[in-house]
Amino acid sequence: MALILTQDEEEFRDSVRRVVAERSPLSKLRELMSSGQPYDADVWKQLSALGLPSLVIPAEHGGAEAGYSVLSVALGELGAGLVASPLLAVTLAAGTLIKLGDQDAQSRLLPGIASGELIATLAAGGTGTARADGGTLTGELSPVLNAEQASVLLVPAADGDGVALFEVDAAAPGVEITPLPALDHSRSLARVRLNGAPGRRLSGDAAAAVDFAQDLANLALASEQVGAMAACLLMTAEYAKIRVAFGRPIGSFQGVKHRLAELWTTWELARAALRDAARAADERPDAFARAASVARIAVSASYVDAAVATVQLHGGIGFTWEHDAHLYQKNAMSQHALFGGEGEQLDRLTALLTARG
Amino acid sequence: MSEQSVTDFRNRARAWLAENAPRRAAADDESGGPARADIAAQKAFQARLYDAGFAGLTWPTEYGGQGLTNAEQIAFGQEARDYALPVGAFFIGLGMPGPTILELGTEEQKRRYLPQMLRGEEIWCQLFSEPAAGSDVASLTTSAVRDGDGWVLNGQKVWTSGAQYSDYGAVLARTDPTVPKHNGITMFVVDMHAPGVTVRPLKVATGATPFNEVFFDQVRLPADAVIGEVNDGWRAAVVMLRNERVNIGTMGAPRTSPLSYHSLSSLAAKHGTADAGVGRKLAELYVRERSVSLFGQLLREEAMSGRDPGARGSVAKLAGAELGTFASLVAEQVLGPAVAASDSEEVWEVLNTALSMPGSSIAGGTNEIQRNIIGERVLGLPKDPGVDRSTPFNQLRVGTMRKD
Repeated sequence: MALILTQDEEEFRDSVRRVVAERSPLSKLRELMSSGQPYDADVWKQLSALGLPSLVIPAEHGGAEAGYSVLSVALGELGAGLVASPLLAVTLAAGTLIKLGDQDAQSRLLPGIASGELIATLAAGGTGTARADGGTLTGELSPVLNAEQASVLLVPAADGDGVALFEVDAAAPGVEITPLPALDHSRSLARVRLNGAPGRRLSGDAAAAVDFAQDLANLALASEQVGAMAACLLMTAEYAKIRVAFGRPIGSFQGVKHRLAELWTTWELARAALRDAARAADERPDAFARAASVARIAVSASYVDAAVATVQLHGGIGFTWEHDAHLYQKNAMSQHALFGGEGEQLDRLTALLTARG
Repeated sequence: MSEQSVTDFRNRARAWLAENAPRRAAADDESGGPARADIAAQKAFQARLYDAGFAGLTWPTEYGGQGLTNAEQIAFGQEARDYALPVGAFFIGLGMPGPTILELGTEEQKRRYLPQMLRGEEIWCQLFSEPAAGSDVASLTTSAVRDGDGWVLNGQKVWTSGAQYSDYGAVLARTDPTVPKHNGITMFVVDMHAPGVTVRPLKVATGATPFNEVFFDQVRLPADAVIGEVNDGWRAAVVMLRNERVNIGTMGAPRTSPLSYHSLSSLAAKHGTADAGVGRKLAELYVRERSVSLFGQLLREEAMSGRDPGARGSVAKLAGAELGTFASLVAEQVLGPAVAASDSEEVWEVLNTALSMPGSSIAGGTNEIQRNIIGERVLGLPKDPGVDRSTPFNQLRVGTMRKD
């Protein structure tokens, strides 16, 4: 098991990078901010044409079956470019369905997700709960990824003594979806209220599937965070080479240089942990939960640090609306809070380490 | 190099180690340099290692090496990880002066010194740091003055590991004080048994004496003692320091260290703790320990695939030192009031390891120097435009010299 990228992975990374540079530069995010669109439909088509929503879906359901490591590489590029897309949402929905194992649901939903035409989202990662009563669901979950654009919601709900996963048609009566003003302009988030909404109970071990979705969220978010953190630090290092103060480039001052070196060191460690988690997802399922947790903790708070340092080291210009630093800072803060903040992550890792003995 | 031959080599190494090498015990990890009494045993073990074909794996065969690749070197390191090979006395010579002589030495020097080093017959030390030249080692004031064909060496070195049992040392001395500091330094081979060489143990904060001070008083050096070119010793020093960082950066913390997640979480479980935050700190320690180790693995994989790790050895060095500092803080939280006073040997083992941690953030280039290197050579930031690079050395202040 090697941590370094294979040649195929490097080539795939380069093609995603090209699409991001050509079709979704940071100016695209600013266009979306003014138009109020959650993401650019053409960009999503391009990413779907590259196969991004299909990477972890089995071939029998129309997927590319390329694996989680390739997915992680792609998410890193989208993270670096702050590309707005429903990829995280559909990936978590697909991963949950695959783990759950309900064959009917897989045949019904996975091909649409793989082609990029069906937006499905897992109603988890924020606060709130739902409960089932017969075939109807009640509760409130918030914030939920891309709920406003989704046609299918996957809702974990208390059902009798346990938990079950329900497929809910987003357009059904009793489903109320309210878009929320999101801190991160590249994320579309909404509140989902269920008032006796009809749901189809899916078969399989829902608790295990939801647990796996958390691990997958850790891997996916860590992938985006590692990509974005590098983008922040490289942007700041470039600026430190050209911005002059007191007759020298500011990057020659240790106050600037050491801060960047420190953050870069943290980034190198986080990236190594991420590569381990991505490989574990494909090759060592037993070690995946722990590895994904390590990767997420290694990068999550550090990315916030790096984004704040990006503003700070750019000085006044970094605090302006026209500069991109605040886009990363908002992304970093939002990423750090979704699917388990710092304390929750550390407690979850402790539980995983203790269970292992 | 085919994968099959690496596998064959690995199997051969595994079998030989199982047969010949002692297993690692918890107590080995943090002990300082080997005691004088161990030296004979270490020399004997190194000779067996050499005879079995496991010494100087990547060195050319004409100088006693095995002429193999990094792949075998890494395979051997992995196989040897759980053994405590009694070869600590050779660690410096084979890791630093050896590769430097291989790169810059004359044919005569290579034939004279390298095979003896590999066979364990001669032990080497490295003499760079001085009381007034640590991070800024190019400010050194030990001098070598021409005398007939040879040179006369005077001055003081410090932090010299293994000087008390070394046969030879690689020493940096100033040979021209009238030019800027980097341009007037020469590297020499010095016979540590020569008249005028005095070695004194140096006691550190833990009370142990893992290092020495070395004094040179009118020590004569022959003309062929120069490594590389006269006044080009800074280049030789850079070659050697690069080797040192790779050496330190890839060592990795053994699981048996008293400051590892494994040890500290067992300690917390055994004794309990009043501090509610300890659990999360331990989880964080696990994350850091794991990522440092994975980064080391990534660097090794890159090296094996032919990519030059460049200055990223400094990332490993800095991350390892910072991990030690963090682990010490977690240890304090786990121990609670026992930090202040305890009659438990286990507690003292943790405390002494914690007290020795500043060593890893100073030795082999301080954390501050590593951050300069990472900033400049990994991120490409500009160097500090200091005056010291252009001013003749004899017009510079060094160490804590007064201005007047």
